[in-house]
Amino acid sequence: MTLPLSGRIFIANDNICLIFKRSYKYIMYATKQPSLRINQADLQCKEGCGFYGNADWDGYCSKCYRNHMEQARRKKLKQAANAQSGHQGESSKSQVSGFTKFEEKKRQQTDKKTKYFKSLPVFKKTSSAKDIGKPEKYAGLRQSNDPDADKLKTEFLSKYKYLGDEIRRDFLRFSDSFIRQILEDTNVKPVDELAEIAQKRYNVYNTRINSYHLYQQVSAEVRAELEDFLEKYTMTALYTSLFCPSSTNDEDKDLSIQDRIRKLTWVNAHHLDCCISETSLEVRDLVYTAINDLLGMDSVKAPQEKLQCVVKCCRSVVEVLQHCQGGPVSADEFLPALIFVVLKANPARLKSNILYVTRFCKESRLMQGEAGYYFTNLCCAVSFIENLTAESLNMPEQEFQSYMSGEMTTVSAWDSALVACEGMHQLCEHLSLLNNLNERNISIQEEKNKLMEEMNALKEDIKRKVSSVLESTPLVIKPRKSISVTDEKPSGGSLLSNIAIATHNSENIDKTKLTLDLTPCIKFPCIIEDNIEEDNVLKPSLSADLLSPFEQSFEGTTPDDNSILGLSKVNYDIDLSDLSAENSMAEALTPEKRFSPTPSYTPDPFSPVGTTCTITQQPLIPSSVPLQMTVQKEPQQIKDDFVAPFLEDLTRETAEETLLDKIEATPTINLPPPINPIKTEYSGFSKQGWKIPSIPCNTGDYSSLSSQPGTSKQDE
Amino acid sequence: MARDYDHLFKLLIIGDSGVGKSSLLLRFSDNTFTGSYITTIGVDFKIKTVNIDGQKVKLQIWDTAGQERFRTITSTYYRGTHGVVIVYDVTNGETFANVKRWLHEIDQNCDVVNRVLVGNKNDTPDRKVVLTEDAQRFADTMNIRLFETSAKDNINVEEMFMAITKLVLKSKLEMKELHNAQNDVVNLREKKKSGKKSKCC
Repeated sequence: MTLPLSGRIFIANDNICLIFKRSYKYIMYATKQPSLRINQADLQCKEGCGFYGNADWDGYCSKCYRNHMEQARRKKLKQAANAQSGHQGESSKSQVSGFTKFEEKKRQQTDKKTKYFKSLPVFKKTSSAKDIGKPEKYAGLRQSNDPDADKLKTEFLSKYKYLGDEIRRDFLRFSDSFIRQILEDTNVKPVDELAEIAQKRYNVYNTRINSYHLYQQVSAEVRAELEDFLEKYTMTALYTSLFCPSSTNDEDKDLSIQDRIRKLTWVNAHHLDCCISETSLEVRDLVYTAINDLLGMDSVKAPQEKLQCVVKCCRSVVEVLQHCQGGPVSADEFLPALIFVVLKANPARLKSNILYVTRFCKESRLMQGEAGYYFTNLCCAVSFIENLTAESLNMPEQEFQSYMSGEMTTVSAWDSALVACEGMHQLCEHLSLLNNLNERNISIQEEKNKLMEEMNALKEDIKRKVSSVLESTPLVIKPRKSISVTDEKPSGGSLLSNIAIATHNSENIDKTKLTLDLTPCIKFPCIIEDNIEEDNVLKPSLSADLLSPFEQSFEGTTPDDNSILGLSKVNYDIDLSDLSAENSMAEALTPEKRFSPTPSYTPDPFSPVGTTCTITQQPLIPSSVPLQMTVQKEPQQIKDDFVAPFLEDLTRETAEETLLDKIEATPTINLPPPINPIKTEYSGFSKQGWKIPSIPCNTGDYSSLSSQPGTSKQDE
Repeated sequence: MARDYDHLFKLLIIGDSGVGKSSLLLRFSDNTFTGSYITTIGVDFKIKTVNIDGQKVKLQIWDTAGQERFRTITSTYYRGTHGVVIVYDVTNGETFANVKRWLHEIDQNCDVVNRVLVGNKNDTPDRKVVLTEDAQRFADTMNIRLFETSAKDNINVEEMFMAITKLVLKSKLEMKELHNAQNDVVNLREKKKSGKKSKCC
């Protein structure tokens, strides 16, 4: 058990070293696994060249290791030339068939040789000789399956559950044998042969999935999905051994292109003849997203995921161009823009990523489709950067050289944007924010002014109306002297006739209005009161004579009315005109119920209102004589209607009337003293809201009616 | 695998910048007249399915950058290309002169590929510089078919793309026949190999 465990740690260690070595700029990766506690000195090359070393390379950096190995190889070749010769011949034989170009062959051969020696430390590391055999080796190899692959495996198992065990088992068996084969060969065969093997495997699975009877039930889409998944799963599992393999010089290429791009920082959109407007905020954001997508390519593992990053990046570039020039984008504009983005992004391990995708991505994917097209463009962009000369930027050689050597520097908007990026960004944002605020402020001012004008207009209007009313009403009072004598019902009619006489001078419309308004008799005294206040101090005596019959019953209301502002007086007039007696009754009744018992109410036989009230009350009393019935019905009615009087719902005149009468009637007959507090409770609920009162009303009733246990039980 | 097409061809449009490669592409792929337009992915990447002799042919046409400085690096575009459309501008003599260089570029990157020569912007006779006779003579010597088109006025665009598609389809079918003739021998070998492999495993 200890062996694989130690192996795992060792490999994890390797990964970290690799990461450190390849992109020590991006230390953030290393901080993700702080638990391993590796000293900085441990990571550096044994030779002390300042670069990071790698356990795979005996603690050397790649260059020092290569030198070291070269020396060791020469020594060994001399020592054991005979032993090597057989193996050498065999391997070269197999290679000749595979490659056509001499140059490439040569490189592969040397690669193979070095690999042979490289494999030595690997065996040392796992502390197993060749003869210990496969299981041991596999135990070590299994460890290289990173967690992502395991995650994919579980994802696969759950996602394709419906396919049944057999297909899943077949898939896993195939992919595992695929992985095993590649892992076996990683240290023996050059990476291009591995790529060939992988491509063959993809094809084999493709034919298998389309011909094997097991897959007959599977739909075409799912088949394609399975093929994609095979690629994704195997490549994720093999990522560490296939991405930037130590047998190749991918790493050197990475470093050289990175260095190259760093030297070319002065290249701007203008040099590339692409129309990226560097000052526009939106364009800059889009360029940033494109750069981010391109950088994301290094953090995913499967080739198709990497391709997806490229596609995203390129789409952003297209968007940038659409934004800048408006209209369709052609390759003539797209490629320079992509080059610009690559130059500004300077992605880590760019070359390794591209080579990895070209080697291990399914070939058909690279040849066709959107991903293939954009990836091809990316390859073109990279090769352009690699071969970039003064000519390709349309500038004199001298200028190019001075730029490259750093003698000349450009001050482009993009550079300044990068340097003073944050400040500028924020400045721009704040400016736009301020503009926005300013606009809003102005609009608020305008609205305010408008409102002021409207208010003034309203004020004027009201003033005018009031004055016009005032002009028309004083005439009403003078002839009142004669009216004050008459107290009975016809009083309204006589009043009207008097008014009509008085307002001979005023217009016909006013007359009709007045007649309409005044037909309900109650409204009349109120108007008079208002007028009295504002007009003359002399008149009260007259009005007192006139109002005396009414005043007795409405003492509670009149002071309230007077206290209201002049504005509301107009409204009040109208309200009363509609509601007539009942409304004033409600207001008159409630205070009475709360503060004073019935007496004040009973002695108003003079007023017509009073008489009507007493009339309506009387027929209700006999109906509510049975105690239980009235008790049960009352709360419901109160629920609905008790609120109404407070809101002065004008439409429910009759309802109010009957309700009020009932309330008035039942307590006086049945339970005079205890009911008073209940009513105050009701009023409180009605103010709180419409939905609540149903429950408290009932409980209130029950509590009040606790004297009758029979009824409460029945209810419950 | 169930597909909505019988053949998938990759076509490449090359030519100097500004000769109207992209507009040809747009005219062909976005023209609603054909009704077989499927989708536009991105802007310069187009897919279109056409029907030729009852066979559904899916075309994906790759636009390329035509600038002189990109000429050497665009070789990667040629990978797996079935047909190439070489475009020049009839109102610009220089673009016609460069056709030779583009043809050379094709020869360097592809072994066998179908080609057509297209003189675009053939809509204003007054400004026409490259005479049809000259172009035709050149095309004959190079053994290429010539089309004079106008993406703007939609002249000859459809015909041109159909012609190149037919060429590609024809050569593909020929290749298939050739392949089938050879296949018997190959198959035997493959069977043997596979048999060996299974034993090994």
